[in-house]
Amino acid sequence: MASIDISNIRKSYGIHPVLHGIDLEIKDGEFVVLVGPSGCGKSTLLRMIAGLEAVTDGEIRIAGKRVNDLAPKDRDIAMVFQSYALYPHMSVAKNMSYSLRLRKTAKEKIASVVASAAGKLGLDPLMERRPKALSGGQRQRVAMGRAIVREPKAFLFDEPLSNLDARLREQMRAEIKKLHQDLGATSIYVTHDQIEAMTLADRIVAMHGGIIQQVGSPLELYDNPANLFVAGFIGSPGMNFFEGRYMASGETANFALTGGMALPLGGTANLADGSRATLGIRPEHVALGAEGLDVLKATVDLVEPTGFGIIVHLKLGPVAFKAFTLDRRFLGMHGEVNVRLPVGNLHFFDEAGRKV
Amino acid sequence: MDSLAARSGSRRDQRPLKKRLADASAPYLYSAPALILIVTVMLVPLVLGISYAFRDIQLLNPFSGGFIGLDHFKTLSQDQNFYRALKNTLWWTGWSVLLQFIFGLILALLLDKPFYGRAIVQALVFLPWAVPSFLAGLNWAWLFNPVVGPIPHWLFALGLMSEPSNILSDPHLSMWGPIIANVWWGIPFFAITLLAALQAIPRDLYEAASIDGAGPVQRFLSITLPFLAPTIAITVLLRTVWISNFADLIIVMTNGGPADRSQIVASYIFTQAFKRLDFGYASAIALVLLVLLITYSMLIVILRQWLLSKD
Repeated sequence: MASIDISNIRKSYGIHPVLHGIDLEIKDGEFVVLVGPSGCGKSTLLRMIAGLEAVTDGEIRIAGKRVNDLAPKDRDIAMVFQSYALYPHMSVAKNMSYSLRLRKTAKEKIASVVASAAGKLGLDPLMERRPKALSGGQRQRVAMGRAIVREPKAFLFDEPLSNLDARLREQMRAEIKKLHQDLGATSIYVTHDQIEAMTLADRIVAMHGGIIQQVGSPLELYDNPANLFVAGFIGSPGMNFFEGRYMASGETANFALTGGMALPLGGTANLADGSRATLGIRPEHVALGAEGLDVLKATVDLVEPTGFGIIVHLKLGPVAFKAFTLDRRFLGMHGEVNVRLPVGNLHFFDEAGRKV
Repeated sequence: MDSLAARSGSRRDQRPLKKRLADASAPYLYSAPALILIVTVMLVPLVLGISYAFRDIQLLNPFSGGFIGLDHFKTLSQDQNFYRALKNTLWWTGWSVLLQFIFGLILALLLDKPFYGRAIVQALVFLPWAVPSFLAGLNWAWLFNPVVGPIPHWLFALGLMSEPSNILSDPHLSMWGPIIANVWWGIPFFAITLLAALQAIPRDLYEAASIDGAGPVQRFLSITLPFLAPTIAITVLLRTVWISNFADLIIVMTNGGPADRSQIVASYIFTQAFKRLDFGYASAIALVLLVLLITYSMLIVILRQWLLSKD
């Protein structure tokens, strides 16, 4: 177990920069998830920590020791790949013990460590099989087994669940979380799936365009996104955005939507009068069927039942947005509906996309 | 009764005879062109060639051509030149395949790494394969010739030779001339096939192994070699059969000489057939070579099956 410190890491391929100065401190035993869309640099960052990519500039420290110029094998980390990267000509047992055999660990020690890892992961009956005779989930377990037998300083996961079907992904997600609770090992996990990020992480690092957008606990990112990117990326269905102009008038203010309608805000926000801004609200905070003076009339476009709840697609003039409700009365809804956007749940973003 | 049976029989099939014949022969007629072509092109020459081995066929003797049974094989069993050629064939094939494979593998490994100008280097490296074997043989014969070629002078300057002489005319070294030419000529075959196999190995296996603690040598042994093994097996098998039959370079460079010292079975067949014009004897030798190569191939196939079943 160890802490990992990343300071001002940059990476360029030729003249193309992909990481623009990343600073991140990962505490001992922490589970950190790097999340972002394809091409945001999250996998590159992970591979640099693993030593599979050269560092263009900056410094990586594992347990306080600078590792920039160390070979992957000397960094004492383990990695689980998206493709599992199991050695196809070796049995499960051989796959798991490969790193220990390379380190000339005593045979009895290898046998006991591999057996205990196999027990933890439920691989006991499969030890003599080749990877090609295993299902996707079993291969994934072998890949994790290969990582844990070494008791490394840190685990790196590179989209380990992307090749599994939805059901299995959910199950393996829980297993990874449980494994982390048992082992307490420092883990860095890369994914583009915000649900995985939310469910697994102690801290989420949201990345976009080679820059860290926000670092925080899952609920911090959900409840208090630092900018438009994080607000839109975290959460499913995603946050609704309304573009418009902030109009202050004394104690209260209005939000003039692009397209003509005005939302009474009932309070003020930290924005200059008349400035362009984006208003955001999560679908579950949109109150359907509300009564009162501050309700808006929206048109129902589409109703999507998910079983658990209902996603209602609405239109406010030309602007489309979504509401999420658990109330089944709204299943057969059509025509006009009263909607309230509660002031306490509104997020404002300035013209540059920053939360205000 | 008889007439009744005949009548009921004719009721079963009332088509006219011609139509019935045409229907029955249709599949054979359709496949006939291909079958006739295969038989004339492949089987007739093969059977004819094998039959020569049991006949006395000498081009300069108009009275030859009679069936002589196993006489050729009896002569062959006491032919010292044949045994030497057999030994030379092993030597020639073994060293050629081994060196071609080793250098081809090294070349493939070098070309597998990306570097600036790799496409051009790849094209250049594969060039020898495009050179006609007779041209390659002539070229190397001249390179080894101290009158026009530089190699003997270089070897002399390095102190490896007491005087700049032609190794092709040295009874103890003459075999090495064609072997070196053959290695030069055949490396690209191994390089191409092994490079293709190398590029099919998933990169993340190497990454996983390097994180697991494997150095370059261990990665090569535990990932590259197991992945290349099937390709190595099939290419080595192919090249072995190919090279042991490959007399071009020897005919061009040494003509089997000096004093039959660099004769392999294939070139010995050529010499018997086209120099001594004894087609019968040449066919008998060819038949022995055929049997040996088939045995070798069967052994390899069995070995491969055994290895696969072990998995």
